[in-house]
Amino acid sequence: MNITLRAFIKKELAQTLRDVRMRVLLFGAPVIQLTIFGLALSTEIKNIKLAFFYAPDDVMARRLEGDFYSSGWFKPVDFTAGEDPLELIVSGRADAAIIAPDEGLARSSERGEGRVQLLVDASNATKARTVETYVKTIISAGWAGKGGGAANPPPVKLDVRVLYNPAMESSLFLVPGVMGMVVCLITIILTAMSLAREREMGTFETIVSAPLSDAEILLGKTIPFVLLGLAVTALTLLAAYFFFGVPVRGPLWQLALGSLVFIITTVSVGTLISTIAKNQQQAMLGGFIFLFPAILMSGIMYPVENMPTTVIAAAYLNPLMCFMRILRSVLLKGGEAYVFWTNMGALALMAMAAGGLAYNRFKQTLD
Amino acid sequence: MKTGPALEVKNLSIKFGDFTAVDDVSFSVARGEIFGFLGANGAGKTTAIRTLCGLLVPSSGSALVGGLDFSDGGKGIKKIVGYMSQKFTLYNDLTVGENLDFAAGLRKMEPRYAAERRRELFELIGFDRPLSTMVASLPGGVKQELALASAILHDPEVVFLDEPTSGVAPASRARFWNLIRKLTEMGKTVIVTTHYMDEAEQCGRIALMSAGRLIALGSPEELKRGAFPGPMAELDFKGTEDVEFIRSLEKAPGLLELFPHGMRWHAAFRDQAALSAALTGLPPSVSSRPVEPSLEDVFIRIIEGAER
Repeated sequence: MNITLRAFIKKELAQTLRDVRMRVLLFGAPVIQLTIFGLALSTEIKNIKLAFFYAPDDVMARRLEGDFYSSGWFKPVDFTAGEDPLELIVSGRADAAIIAPDEGLARSSERGEGRVQLLVDASNATKARTVETYVKTIISAGWAGKGGGAANPPPVKLDVRVLYNPAMESSLFLVPGVMGMVVCLITIILTAMSLAREREMGTFETIVSAPLSDAEILLGKTIPFVLLGLAVTALTLLAAYFFFGVPVRGPLWQLALGSLVFIITTVSVGTLISTIAKNQQQAMLGGFIFLFPAILMSGIMYPVENMPTTVIAAAYLNPLMCFMRILRSVLLKGGEAYVFWTNMGALALMAMAAGGLAYNRFKQTLD
Repeated sequence: MKTGPALEVKNLSIKFGDFTAVDDVSFSVARGEIFGFLGANGAGKTTAIRTLCGLLVPSSGSALVGGLDFSDGGKGIKKIVGYMSQKFTLYNDLTVGENLDFAAGLRKMEPRYAAERRRELFELIGFDRPLSTMVASLPGGVKQELALASAILHDPEVVFLDEPTSGVAPASRARFWNLIRKLTEMGKTVIVTTHYMDEAEQCGRIALMSAGRLIALGSPEELKRGAFPGPMAELDFKGTEDVEFIRSLEKAPGLLELFPHGMRWHAAFRDQAALSAALTGLPPSVSSRPVEPSLEDVFIRIIEGAER
């Protein structure tokens, strides 16, 4: 390997990894963020106060009630049969109420109109939607199990998310997102800050006074951060696998190739930012200006499909979204070739564009 | 050992858009010379040096450094020069060893050769701390000596030092200039910029720059003789300046220049006769003694002359 590139890698790693705070930031923060997003910020909702109204002789409803309380998501509410279900929710004693038909569930479903009324406190829309999904899931499971009959299709359809995450564990869904986010953040900020610092301090003069080609300087200042980014990816993957039980259902090479191309893109973006920024503060700010929309429009927290059409078009120019899809596909779904190669292709194009642009801008700022 | 001048600059101009940083400058520097660049901030010294280090390409005119031109974009020149810029050239958050290893890597030096050069240079600068010392913990003077060692690790023919001693203690400045002299004894050519007049005195020749132009060039002695061909006297009023006497002295025949110098005044005359005539019968409160003009006096006179 080129002596100069090796010297750059040694120097950047020494500078980045010497400081204890920096090491903690690099390798501790991702794990902490994984924990926060995986556990604390869970969209999974537990201990939903549920009131189940049904006629005393309705055996099927009673069995269904048992399913609800044993699911772990719901807990029973004390109420008397004559109470108004609406009043229970308004007073806050219950989060949700289910009202079975008076004639009994079994009989009404035989007539093909197995209607169960669900009242949900939707002051928190996300929570309400989650509760609704839980209820649908439990009822249709109960339906299938209790001889509703093949002739009667279950009255509810399953959500796509439920397909890959049957227990609705939000950590499975969020942890890959956090991995992508952390890697994106660390590589962009580290690269932009390191270049801006050299320029600000004046050490960049020493580098450009050596007889090196533009490409050697650019690669020397970026390869170390690609390596660090890969290390952080591997670390978060291990933490996700061992601490959060996130499966790795697809091939590892997809993960490695996807991460590499994604990190090349983000390091190029970091380089671009540093060619515009005058100092370290501006580089930091520039990094965040890129990061916020990239994270919000990546599908990590909000589905991209729910956004307006023009925004969706822009979202496809977001490297984080492509990486996100590759990560979820490989980790949770088994790495379907079509999903992998379409997102990989988009990522590769973005890496080339960002890399080319960074090289051009970088060349102009060398003098 | 190569022959020919170390630097050969002819009508060199460097422009940034409409701004001319270096304007039609010509000079040559012999091998083994200590060549000083002086001038106010923004006079074009740093731009001239960065060009001669191969970092900028001349807008017009020509420059040969060690016989090499800019036909390859300055890459050949970069190989044979060492450059210590006026900003940080060492990384504070790296150890001494890591800094020198990186400098060696930038120059693609074989590790064994780099280690050998490092030992030689440590001996030259008298550095005996462990390689694992953090640069941030070194005193300013030692840091500058180490920065010099790092800039000449690849054994360049021509060494450019841009204000190498600014912010360094006086004793360390003297040590640093000893090193500069040792380098020229080893056959290297040193081009240095400084704001300190005592350092300028130690240069073989001085180029004075102002607003991008070269306004004076020569050895300190030559510059002094050129600016003040006659003798100079220092007048000491012992605290109370005699305004009337100064006014009358200003009208003395043969007076070239009369100007305050700290607490005293300097009076330059065309010749010894004019000096004697003007300074006979001094009031008892004023004492006079002959002085050599300082380089500061010279530069003030040259720059005022250039601006007039």
